[in-house]
Amino acid sequence: MEESEEFGVWLGRQLRRTQLSQADFAQRLGLTRAAVSAWVTGRARPRTEMMAKIAEVLGTDLATLVTRDTDTGGARPIGWYHRTAHLDGGREYGNAAAFAFDADLAVLAREVTQNSLDERLDHDRPVRVRFTLHELTGEHLNSFLTALKWDEVAPHYEAAAQSRQKVARVLAEGLRALREESSLLLLRVDDYNASGLTGPEYADGRYAAVVRRQLDSHKRDDRAGGSYGLGKATLWAASRLGLVLMNSTLSEAHEGRTERRVVGRLDLPWREVDGVAYAGPAWLGEPDTEKEHQGVSRSWWADERVVADLCLERDGDDPGTSFLVVGAHDAAGSSDSLESMRDALDQALADNFWAAMTSGRSTPAMLDASVRALRNGETVVPDRRVDPVERHPALTRALRAHLDGETVAELTSAGQVAATEVPLAVPTPRVSGKRSTTHEHRAVLLVTAADGTDQEHSRVICMRGTRMRVMARRPRGLGMGVDPFQAVLLAGSATGRDDAVTRAAEAFLRAAEPPEHDKWGATEDLTATYANAPRRLTEFNAAMDKALHAVIGRRTDGQREDGPEVLRKLLRLDVPTPGGGRRGPGQPAVDRVTGRVDADGAWTLDVTLTVPRRDERWQMKPVAKFDVRSGGRPSLAWAALEPLENCEVVGDRLLVAPDVRSARFRGVTAVESHPVAAAMAGVIVDVQQAREVSA
Amino acid sequence: MSTVYAYPTLVGKVEATVKGAHIDGKPLQLSLISRSERVVALHQVEREDWTEGVLDLEVSVPAGEVDDGPWARVGCFAVLSEGATNTRVVTRLDKQRDDSVWRGEVRVHRSCHLARATLDVCVVGTYGGIDGRVIGTTDAPWVVDLHGRTPTRQRELDIVEVDFRDGPEEWLRRFADAPWLIDTEREQPTILLNTSFEGLSPLLSGAHGPLEKATAGLLAAQIAADAWSTMFHSALADLEFDEDGTPHLPGGWQGAVLRSLLPDVFPELPLAEALAEAHSRRADGRGWGEVQSRIQFAAARRGTLPKNLTAAIRAVSRAQGGARR
Repeated sequence: MEESEEFGVWLGRQLRRTQLSQADFAQRLGLTRAAVSAWVTGRARPRTEMMAKIAEVLGTDLATLVTRDTDTGGARPIGWYHRTAHLDGGREYGNAAAFAFDADLAVLAREVTQNSLDERLDHDRPVRVRFTLHELTGEHLNSFLTALKWDEVAPHYEAAAQSRQKVARVLAEGLRALREESSLLLLRVDDYNASGLTGPEYADGRYAAVVRRQLDSHKRDDRAGGSYGLGKATLWAASRLGLVLMNSTLSEAHEGRTERRVVGRLDLPWREVDGVAYAGPAWLGEPDTEKEHQGVSRSWWADERVVADLCLERDGDDPGTSFLVVGAHDAAGSSDSLESMRDALDQALADNFWAAMTSGRSTPAMLDASVRALRNGETVVPDRRVDPVERHPALTRALRAHLDGETVAELTSAGQVAATEVPLAVPTPRVSGKRSTTHEHRAVLLVTAADGTDQEHSRVICMRGTRMRVMARRPRGLGMGVDPFQAVLLAGSATGRDDAVTRAAEAFLRAAEPPEHDKWGATEDLTATYANAPRRLTEFNAAMDKALHAVIGRRTDGQREDGPEVLRKLLRLDVPTPGGGRRGPGQPAVDRVTGRVDADGAWTLDVTLTVPRRDERWQMKPVAKFDVRSGGRPSLAWAALEPLENCEVVGDRLLVAPDVRSARFRGVTAVESHPVAAAMAGVIVDVQQAREVSA
Repeated sequence: MSTVYAYPTLVGKVEATVKGAHIDGKPLQLSLISRSERVVALHQVEREDWTEGVLDLEVSVPAGEVDDGPWARVGCFAVLSEGATNTRVVTRLDKQRDDSVWRGEVRVHRSCHLARATLDVCVVGTYGGIDGRVIGTTDAPWVVDLHGRTPTRQRELDIVEVDFRDGPEEWLRRFADAPWLIDTEREQPTILLNTSFEGLSPLLSGAHGPLEKATAGLLAAQIAADAWSTMFHSALADLEFDEDGTPHLPGGWQGAVLRSLLPDVFPELPLAEALAEAHSRRADGRGWGEVQSRIQFAAARRGTLPKNLTAAIRAVSRAQGGARR
């Protein structure tokens, strides 16, 4: 299935690994150096009978020479390579890219998952992303640190943590936690059905973009969500130790191999160890044998045991990458326990990717995400799929209806989803030379009634590309009294179309996004590339509002006999009195009534009153009535009134003591005054100011 | 004022939602149903002569409480009623075995209703051998508005511009000289503006310039104060009473008017007491004259007469000052 590496390239590496010069090698084979050189440079291939001899000299078998999927001469020792300080004396006390974001788990989940989505390999099935929180203690921790060559790197940590810079304080805290609590939290992010870290060690490619470079986006797909190459920095930002290990299964063979390409990258600030100054990053890997990168740690093809020791085993051979954030923490500081971090991840995934996780009847979801938690390899929280319906039922319903083609033009029931179009005039880029023209892209607006449980609603969720949520826009000009709704705007490729105008719209909107990808506005990139871009965006927003209004706005058909506005506004019923709130002092009122019907059929009622404080006594008359649906309520006579707290009874009056806040009394109704049996009616109790009651 | 029952009732909330509606089989736009205000504007722009509307109702009850509670044979009913026509239609709702909500279709017959029907939901059950005890109701009813074009609870008075002198309504002819009249005998109080009164309508509808606007404001305040006071008297004359003579606060516009003005008429009394006081003064005439001026004050305040008058006086004095200069 995969192509073998060029024989010459492979042979050259084997010679370097075995530290055999071309001349020595030629001598052992009984050939000239020129012949070997021709093989290595690919100008010639050895004859078949020579192959067996080459295998013998290299200490391997013939099959390896044919497949060229392993290296000979045993594994070279894995170790750390630290970049030495710049000759110009420049010092970096941290990675600026890591500060571009809030370094909390939610942002990490968003950025990393977006990268996985952008790298989706087989577009007929979802990319699978799994987050694993793994806590290590005791023996498990020791064996992990050993595999990591902790002893080699420890002096660098100590030195780096001594600086007074911000990054150093985080490091110091991470080291302290490791030392004192003897536990280490690993956050692992695996993706499957993704490209994996393909490409050469140092030259352009996905691998180099992640491992070697900063701000290299390396996104060739024009539907991609990211465009700055900043997202990966969140991985390092999430590590208190600035350390991320990677194990990748490649979708395209490199050096003839695809499985278990492993490398580690450490981001430390400038430091001095044993009198040598180091610049910043360090890599865990195999010392390179190529001349121009002599000694640099490069990725190696690890065996299964090493991968297991590094807690980096992958399930099966589906391409993709596993990132292991060593010493993970939630920099926002909100979640501490495994469980709460798990919940934070779950929530972030559901909030940012509910759309990508939504599938239609015939359309697969783009993403399948899950979260689990382990402690020393044992499951603490089992792997659970993030279900978009749980947190965003109405939004998911809207998108599903769109995917299944079940949208309607006009909403007539709560479960329906209305679809309408929003035009976006996409200008042609300035570089195209000609006078700028526009093409109309038709974005899709989906609207449905919000679910009762929706916390956030009545906003337009705007998305493009891989249905990445860019922003939640609060619409304008909808007017008062519109019921809560959910709306989704699908622009660019998110519409599911794939034509020139769609791609142009996608590019235009991507240019309008800042590094956080959280709004469409006039970025530098946008105004530099397109003429009149801010105006197009404003028009787009206005078109969105207009389309939304057409679906859910209240209609005023102007047929009402309205009368002059100046008079109408003075005659509204059901509105509070202007300048209202002018009320006299409070009055005693019934606060709570409990009661039961006793054996004789009389109500015994225990009544608590709230009493406004005043110096004088309150005098009032308690009244009990049967509650009826309509018409006059029959009054009940009292058989007995008994003061319980802060009051006394005089005849049918209640005298409440001055200067108290509450009073309680008990009343028993007279059975003979009941028009119906007590158990057949509800009772209400009121207190009336002692006044002349018309008999 | 909560009611005490001789049997246990539900503590949890009973919530009703109108999910959709049809008029004569045609679905109603969802924008005519307001879930936040609990109002359905049962109204079809194209036709007035519809005969039946159907509301799809969904009711959630505290399921755990009902299952564990002491009641047997729990059922759920929708009650559609309108005081004006004395209509009360009860619809049984159904619950599927695995469903958590009760559902049903509530039929609204156009001929049974006048303007605004209310839709309540009752949960009933058997307790102590007695069937059909109401154990829970919705806190606030839904309103089915048969005239409204927008589903809002807030109501405005009708304002009709009509020619008193030569218009179609015979009875208005003898008021031909009146600029306006307030008619509280209709289902909804109505302000009649006389279009044959020269300059009245143009002033109210299309005032230009500060002086004209201030005058229009003053006029509107005057009409409004008049209307509020008339409505107050009209509402007070039409009360229902308990057996002991305590008046009920009415529903409809009467209730709204009384609630709005009584706190200014008797600022020292709570609403129920104020209503009883107003009624008793009116009934036996004791101090009724003094209450008149209080009503006048409250109505003028509600119509923002003092504020608009001040604005008018300022506008006039400014205009005159400008002329002198």
